[in-house]
Formats: sequence, C-alpha cells, structure tokens
Amino acid sequence: MIGSALAGGFLGTLALTTIVRVAAEIGFTRLDLAFVLGTIVTRNRRRALAIGYVFHLGLGIVFAFAYGAVFELIGTGSWWLGALLGVVHAVFMATVVLNVLLPVVHPLMGTPETAANEFALIEPPGFLMLNYGRNTFLVTLASHMVFGAIVGWAIRV
Amino acid sequence: MRDGDGYVPIEDYALIGDGRTAALVARDGSIDWLCLPNFDSPSVFASVLDAARGGSFELRPTIPFTAARRYLPNTNVLETTFTTGRGSVRVVDAMALPNGHLGPTREIVRRVEGLDDISAPVPMMWAVAPRFRYGTAAPRWEWRGRVPVATCDAEALAVSAWDAGEPEWRDGRVAAAFELSRRATSTMVLGSAHADPLVLPGRAAAERRLTDTIAFWEQWTATRGYGGAWAAHVLRSALVLKALIFAPSGASVAAPTCSLPEEIGGERNWDYRFCWIRDSNFAIAALLNLGCYDEAQSLFWWFMHATALTEPELHVLYRLDGGVGGDERTIPLPGYRNSKPVRIGNGALEQTQYDIYGCLFETARLYSDGHRPVDDDIGRILARIADHVCRIWREPDSGIWEVRNGPFHFTHSKAMCGVALDCALELASRHELPADRVSRWKKEADAIRHYVETECWSDRLRSYRRIAGDDDVDASLLMLPILGFTDPRGERARGTIDAVMQRLRDGDFVYRYRAADGVRGREGCFLNCSFWLVGALARAGRVDEAAELMERLIRRANDVGLYAEEVDPSSGAFLGNFPQALVHLALIDAAIAIGRAEQA
Repeated sequence: MIGSALAGGFLGTLALTTIVRVAAEIGFTRLDLAFVLGTIVTRNRRRALAIGYVFHLGLGIVFAFAYGAVFELIGTGSWWLGALLGVVHAVFMATVVLNVLLPVVHPLMGTPETAANEFALIEPPGFLMLNYGRNTFLVTLASHMVFGAIVGWAIRV
Repeated sequence: MRDGDGYVPIEDYALIGDGRTAALVARDGSIDWLCLPNFDSPSVFASVLDAARGGSFELRPTIPFTAARRYLPNTNVLETTFTTGRGSVRVVDAMALPNGHLGPTREIVRRVEGLDDISAPVPMMWAVAPRFRYGTAAPRWEWRGRVPVATCDAEALAVSAWDAGEPEWRDGRVAAAFELSRRATSTMVLGSAHADPLVLPGRAAAERRLTDTIAFWEQWTATRGYGGAWAAHVLRSALVLKALIFAPSGASVAAPTCSLPEEIGGERNWDYRFCWIRDSNFAIAALLNLGCYDEAQSLFWWFMHATALTEPELHVLYRLDGGVGGDERTIPLPGYRNSKPVRIGNGALEQTQYDIYGCLFETARLYSDGHRPVDDDIGRILARIADHVCRIWREPDSGIWEVRNGPFHFTHSKAMCGVALDCALELASRHELPADRVSRWKKEADAIRHYVETECWSDRLRSYRRIAGDDDVDASLLMLPILGFTDPRGERARGTIDAVMQRLRDGDFVYRYRAADGVRGREGCFLNCSFWLVGALARAGRVDEAAELMERLIRRANDVGLYAEEVDPSSGAFLGNFPQALVHLALIDAAIAIGRAEQA
C-alpha cells in the first residue's frame, strides 16, 4: 500500500492544487493554499509559495496514508469511496482546520480575536472559508473529492 | 443635552474601539451605538438611530450635572467628568484589548471614581437595554448567579458590576442605582460572546485589562513618528485611524456608523462600515508617514487579497472580511432625528467609479516608496489592472462622489486613471511591474493627459471642469495637484484652487459640488474637502493661507478632537457618519503638506 499511497497522494495533491489555482485565476476564490501554508515560515511571498507547495504536497501524502488506513479498516476501497472521504475531508478542513486551528498557529493570520494591539497580515479564512470568496467551499469540496477519488483509485484495497 | 426626542448632537459623541468594533459614547455617559462582534455586525445599541427603542448603556448621576470630556493622553480611552452640586465623578470608558489572559470576546470596561471635591454621596444610575439585530430583537434576560445575561440566538451579553448597586430587571432592561462617595470606585463590564460561551470576568482581571489597554495605546502613540505642527491633532487622527482598522483582516472601515444623516430629516443616510479603495492611498500615506509599517503592510496585503476575486476590475468598496457582497437595504428604525430611511449595506457596490484605480496604484507606489518593493505576484496583478485601465478610461462613470444620476465623464476620474498609469510606469521602471506593456501604458497615459488638458479645462473658469464639457467645478479637482497629476504650483492648479474657493467655499468649509446628484435633499460641507483645500494651498506654495485655514478647521473638531463626515456651515453642527476616517486622513495629509512646504 505504501507505494500506492505515495503515488496517489502525489497525484491527488497535484490535481487538488491545480484545481484550486485555476479556480483562483478565474476569480472563483481567493484561497491560495501554498501561500497560506508557506507564510507560516516566511513573509517573503515568492519563497512562501515554493515552501507552501512542498509543505502541501507532504500533507497530501500524509492524508493519502490516512485514506489508506480507512480503506484497510473497512476492508474495501475505490475511487468513489475516496471521493466520499474527500467530502468529509473538505468539510473538516473548512470548518475546523482552516477555520479554527490554522489561525491559531499561523503567525501572520488574524483570528476573530485579533485586536488593535496585534497585527494580522493575512485575513482568517472564516467559517467554510467564506472570507476568501463565496465559492471557496465549493472549490474546496470539488478539489478534495478529486483528491479522494485519485487516492481511492490508486490504493484500491 | 438631549432633545425632546432623546437625541444628542453628533458632535456630542466620542469613540472607543478595540480594532474589531467600536462604540459611540455620548457626553451624558450613554453608549448609544455598538455593533457586535465586529464593526459591520448588527447593532446591539442603536439609540443614535432610535432613541426610544434602539438600545443603550446609560451611566450618569441622577442629579443635575455638567460633563467635560477628554481622551486620556495618547489613548483611545475616554474620560468623562460629571460635575454635580455634591461634587464630581469621573468615568473612564474603554473597549478593553486582550492581554493574554482569558476574557470576554469583546469587552467594554467602565470605571467610575468619586473625586476629592465630593461633599455628599453622588447618586448614580446605570441601565443596560440591549436590542439585538438593529433594534428589532428584544433580548431574553437570564441570571448567572448575580450577573444578568442577555441572549439572542448566538449572541450573549453579560453585565458584571462591582460596587454599583443591585441590578434589577425591569421593562426589558437591567438597571441599578448606587451612590458614590469621595475616592470610592465602581466598575462595570459589558462582556459579549458570539457563538461561543460567555466569559464572566472578575473585577481585578477587568481592571487589569483596562490598565493594560491604556498602556498599549500610550506605547503605540509614543512610537509614532510625527513631530510637526498640530501634533496633538495629527496623533488623535492617527488614533482614530488605528481604532478603525479591523485588526483581524487589516482593512480600514470608513466610519463605524451607518445612516447618520447628511441632512437632518433627509434621506442621504448611508452605511460606511466598509473599506473603500478610495481611502487607501491616504491611509497608506498616513500610516507610512507616522511610522506604522506593520499596519501599512497589513492594509496593503488586505487590498491585494480583497481585489483578487474581481481583478482586473475593482469594486468601489469591500466588506471587512474581503467579500464583495453587502446589498443595500433599509431597516425599520426611525433614524437619527427622524432621518429616514436607515440603510445598511451600500449601493455604491454596484457603481462604476474609475478613480479607484488611481487610488490603488498610488497606494502601491507609496508602499513601494516607503516600505518595501512590490513583489512579483502583486506586480503581475497590478499589470493586469493597468491594462484594464487602458481599456476603460474613455468610458463615463459615477465618480468619486458616487452620484446616482450618472454616469458622466468626470475629470477627477480621468485624471486618476492617468495617475494609475503614471504609477504603473514608475513601478515598471523599478522592475516591480512587468516591462512588456510599458509602451501601451505610456501611450494611454499621454492620451489621458491630453484629454484632461483639453476637454476638462475651461478657459472661462480658468479651472479644470467637474465634467468634461461642462462649466462647473468640484472639490475633487483639488486632488489633481495633491497627487501630482498637474504641477501643484502651476497656473492650472492655482486657477482650479481659486475656482473651488470662489464657487464652493462657505467660510471655513467647502462643498463637494453644487450640481444635482440624483438624490433628493441638501447636504452639508464635506470636511475632507476643506482639508484637501489646505493640502492643495500648501503644495501651491500658499503656506500662510493653508496654515490659517488649518488653524480654523482644527478648532471645528469636537471637544475630543473628532470629526464627522460633514458639517452644517451655518451652525457648525456635525452631519453624516462619525467619526470619518477620510476626514482624519485628510487632516494628517494637510498637516504634513504644510510642514513640508514650510521646510521647502
């Protein structure tokens, strides 16, 4: 499973990142995952993008292993089961990880509690990441379903 | 102080804020405006728009009194001293800033102190009457021990009070009476929660946050880099600006209020709780000139993020969370002194205003000049926007004043498109924008300049025109020399300044224009126009005139140094939303312009 998870995670993250990037370019969302992740470690935008892409790729592979573990647990896996897990994954990301956890650990991101005695260079994504555009959650949902489908197809238990 | 209907003059208000929301405190100690949890959330107190049912937090002596106010030096913490026949009571009001310890999500601390001149206990009262959702939803009151808590869906307010009487619930509000002796203190805390559990603070923790809040504002002001003339007023304006920056995103709200009228009883009532791109260049310039580099970077990054959804087309204004929604609608409140309708949201969202492109590019240029170069990503976005300017500048628009009877070919809009392309060329020359479109930008910039100098210049007026082809003037034309589109000391700038003074000036004040604009009723004089006149005079070398007008305008601030959007030139009464960031930004610009002109 290790090789499948690595390949699935790599390809899935590639697809996910591309979908989000295209959506941003055509004005669907202001979400830029690489930028958001990369600015955890640097204020330099260009360097942040490079670091963010690598970081995101690593996370994608970790999640692919988690998908594989779920497939092992239930004894089956497929592209559509992966897509279904992608829905759960997207909802979790949009309501908990990016909405609540990321602003807490991100040194440049505001939170709803950020006040005049603090600075935020990056606005918080907000519930369902709606602060980054009304369609952001839809983009997140679609891209994670594609990610899940690719991982599910690659891992097929 | 209050009229028969329960309203106070707008100039009787002072602002307290924490960078997330703000409250208006009246001279008589009543908090009459508060939106929670953010500037653009629905109101909890809106007595300023509905004195009978809008909701407020009163705190005052119950015997006759006079009131004097000031901000504690170099802070956004308000001090009101009530003087009665039995002696004086001091109230310190602050929106407390978090200090690392657990506290309410938003918190107003009111500390009351009996002064040494008290001869007999001073009877006091406080009453909290929240009305959620712009006064349309009455709260459900409950008790947590001895603490009254008002709830409405996901919102909750707790009123904690120490040595301030026994609160009682009556007629939809919680109130208490108490007496204050010499050197006695009472403390009240209004803590709020939004979609999370309330935190009920202890007295020591709340007072510690008040002390820390005062210390933060003092320290912030002490590190501002301005030592020129009118320093106290410039720093007060900086403090207003800082209070109006929405800290979670870095956006700057134009004013914390909605629908304070431009004409008493009139319909020119708008919601200013948005971030206008138009204010951005003044805001960035002020922040950089005052050494607020973090705030400047935060605001610039916010602009580039907010515009990412719509670029190369820009919206006139954006919500504080960066969104472009915010449909205008009316709400069933009677309005300040019966000024209807009360609007929330802003219809200018739908308008086309081309001057904002110049404002954004000027912002980028100032940011690059004063802080750090524009990076590649932002450079590519700006290049696309510059291309867009090349395509659109020939079209009419609604102009800087957002007229509702347009579109027209406003001179100011054309000139600002020229400013946009001039800035793009300058940034490209520093390799901060791609160089491959420079020839097109140069060609279109020249075409704009030719258009403005021919179609928008009137030999009869000896001035630039408000609209190409007409023979009227507009205070926005003062921006042409201020932003360097035309030589500030040149004949055309001097002629335009004279024409504005001759046709639009009324005493110390300047009207925006005299023409119809598609909205019924009259309006006062926009105070930013007066400060623009000061800035234009200073840049034209007419420094004495500028300084003299500046002195007079400084005296027109209210007792705590704040300005509303407009003033009634006949009475000096404030009109419009309050306090307005653009007026304070224009004040900072005018003071700096005079200082530089004197040095030159």
